[in-house]
Amino acid sequence: MRRKGRRQRWTTALATALAVASLAHAEVAHAQVAQAGAPTLETAVKAAYLAKFAPFVVWPASVFATPTAPLALCVQGDDPFGPLLDHEAAGQSVGGHPVAVRRVAQLAADSGCQIAFVGGSSVQSRAAALKAVDGLPVLTVTDGGDSSGRGIVQLVLTDGRVRFAIDADKARQSGMTISSRLLALGVAGR
Amino acid sequence: MSESQKTTGRRDPERGRVAVLWIGAVVLVAASIALAFRQEDAHRTLVLHEAEAQTDVLAGSVSAALAFEDQDAMRQYLEALTRNPEIAAAGIYGPNGQRLAMSTRLGAAPPPATVTAEADSQNGGAARIARVVTEQGQRQGFVYLRTEPESLGEFVGRHTGLVILTLLALLLLSFMTRAAQRLASANARLSEEIEARAAAEDALRQSQKLEALGQLTGGIAHDFNNLLQAIYGAFELILNKPGDPKTVSRWARNGLEAANRGASLTRQLLAFSRQQKLELKPLIVAERLEGMHELLARTLGPRVELAFDLDHDRVTVMSDATQLEVAVMNLAVNARDAMPDGGRLTVRTRKIQLEDDALLAPGAYLQLQVTDTGHGMPPHVARRAFDPFFTTKAVGKGTGLGLAQVYGVARQAGGDARIVSSPEAGATVTLLFREASGDVAGPAPEPPPAPLPTTAPSATVLLIDDDDAVRGVVRGGLEMRGYTVIDANSGEAALAIAGEAQPHIAVVDYAMPGMDGAQTAESLRRILPGLPIILASGYSDTAAVERALGGAATVLRKPFDINALSLALERLLAEG
Repeated sequence: MRRKGRRQRWTTALATALAVASLAHAEVAHAQVAQAGAPTLETAVKAAYLAKFAPFVVWPASVFATPTAPLALCVQGDDPFGPLLDHEAAGQSVGGHPVAVRRVAQLAADSGCQIAFVGGSSVQSRAAALKAVDGLPVLTVTDGGDSSGRGIVQLVLTDGRVRFAIDADKARQSGMTISSRLLALGVAGR
Repeated sequence: MSESQKTTGRRDPERGRVAVLWIGAVVLVAASIALAFRQEDAHRTLVLHEAEAQTDVLAGSVSAALAFEDQDAMRQYLEALTRNPEIAAAGIYGPNGQRLAMSTRLGAAPPPATVTAEADSQNGGAARIARVVTEQGQRQGFVYLRTEPESLGEFVGRHTGLVILTLLALLLLSFMTRAAQRLASANARLSEEIEARAAAEDALRQSQKLEALGQLTGGIAHDFNNLLQAIYGAFELILNKPGDPKTVSRWARNGLEAANRGASLTRQLLAFSRQQKLELKPLIVAERLEGMHELLARTLGPRVELAFDLDHDRVTVMSDATQLEVAVMNLAVNARDAMPDGGRLTVRTRKIQLEDDALLAPGAYLQLQVTDTGHGMPPHVARRAFDPFFTTKAVGKGTGLGLAQVYGVARQAGGDARIVSSPEAGATVTLLFREASGDVAGPAPEPPPAPLPTTAPSATVLLIDDDDAVRGVVRGGLEMRGYTVIDANSGEAALAIAGEAQPHIAVVDYAMPGMDGAQTAESLRRILPGLPIILASGYSDTAAVERALGGAATVLRKPFDINALSLALERLLAEG
């Protein structure tokens, strides 16, 4: 009994050391990405988040032409993520639909996007882009929200951490169901 | 079956019960242990299932927090989980297996640093479960959960009920076992006591028997001594004056009287010993009693007043006249002894009707009551008064047979004898005789004493008796009457001479060593068919004798006088 306890403590210590080491390695990795592509850590986290919403959203089946049709993750307007997003989405598949990152200049009803990061640009303002898919089953994501309008999901910075707020009503009106587990993480949901 | 076997037989069921109780206890303990193992197994399965369910819930809820690496949310989930005291540690792991969050109960080891596969294991009551977290087929990571190993207290607590129940049952069983053992030993003790008691009773009975025998022989010796004294004296006087016929005849009569009394005493003894058959004949008690007045008055003496109060109903009862008279005499003698200073003896007869008697059948009975005004007797004496050999008289003064004879007479007449007495209040002995159906043939006329024959019969008598004195006396008497007598001292000797002697008649003693009277008579008949035979017997095993002789023998009861014998001889010879 006593010997076992000692062994457990040893294991724990070893595990902790490993965890600390791996975390340290992750921090270093993040720092390297930020230095390389010049995007900030915040942008990297946002890119990661953007790639992670898909499993928690259910679209009407009609939005996919086939059961294996790709799930289009579109970036409209200015792209703050660059290859980071491609990296995050690479190899991901949600309910049989491989995630495909597309960059579109203008968002339209027939753009075929399931998730759209609306960055806005001179070509199509954020408000115009949002309006173009208003009421359609497109999970619009905006970075923050201002008078120019907000997406169903808004990425916000709270206490130095990237968080998100979700407008579940709007999502529902647009024909999408967002997992309560995701809603629970949202700042508004807290 | 011997005593020891009996004893064992009595004890065995108790031992068997003890054994069964022991087996019961063993079975109970075995069943309890089996039940406990089963319960333990079920409990472990339950713990594992519960842990699995908890882990599944965690896996289902934590996916978003895991995906977005929301530490707060993850920690909240884990803390909520580890608030359950049964959960020792829980952790959330990323898709590559690295730990992202964990929660540990105080004192418990933390969850493993990495989890890369699902797992289900149980070790010492603690379940370890790992589950993969997916969302729409996308692997988000792992969750891990470990339950607290069960503490000794909980383990004991879980089994306490069963343990208490088992202990109670064992306690109960042990009580029962002890009770059964106590019962068994009590039984054994009781058996021993019963045996000891039986042995003591046997010893007591034996000593009572010896005492009774002493009293009996004392009493009989006393009575016979008196009789012998009278006979001895009579013969002595006759010897002194052999030439004086008057004196000789007077003393001879005295001697005969004494011998008669002896004969009646032996009859009494035999009646008591039941070897002499009562000659039950219809008779009327009052008539018999009337004839006894003189005798009773003389027995009681001048100081006792005798009163007769007899019925006139002429109730017929079945009894032996002689024995009835002896019974009344016995009662009178007892009454006289109870009234040393005089008193009154009342003899009363009544016809009564019994309806619901405890002992006797309903019907008409003659009640004969003999009441004295003597000193009476205490209850414990009254209770035993009818017991044979029970006497309050000094050794040598009484045989203890008087009231027993009275009782025997009443019982043989289909009735009963009862005694009512208390100290200083006299005693009443009541005899009940069942009324007999049918009429009494008037008392048979006494045969007139046979005169000495004027012409001597020329018959030859074969006399067989093993007793030389008896044989001599009887031979003398018969020769005096003119018979030719050939005698033999045994059946065998008689058979040897019978063919040559060609007797006309045989007188055979019944009780002889070697061939008895019946066998001798039978053998004689084979040599001399149709030979009249007189069997002389003190015993009244008449039925056996008659069976042996096919009814062709005349039985003469001993002691007899020569007159009776010659009458029987004459009758048989006349018939032949």
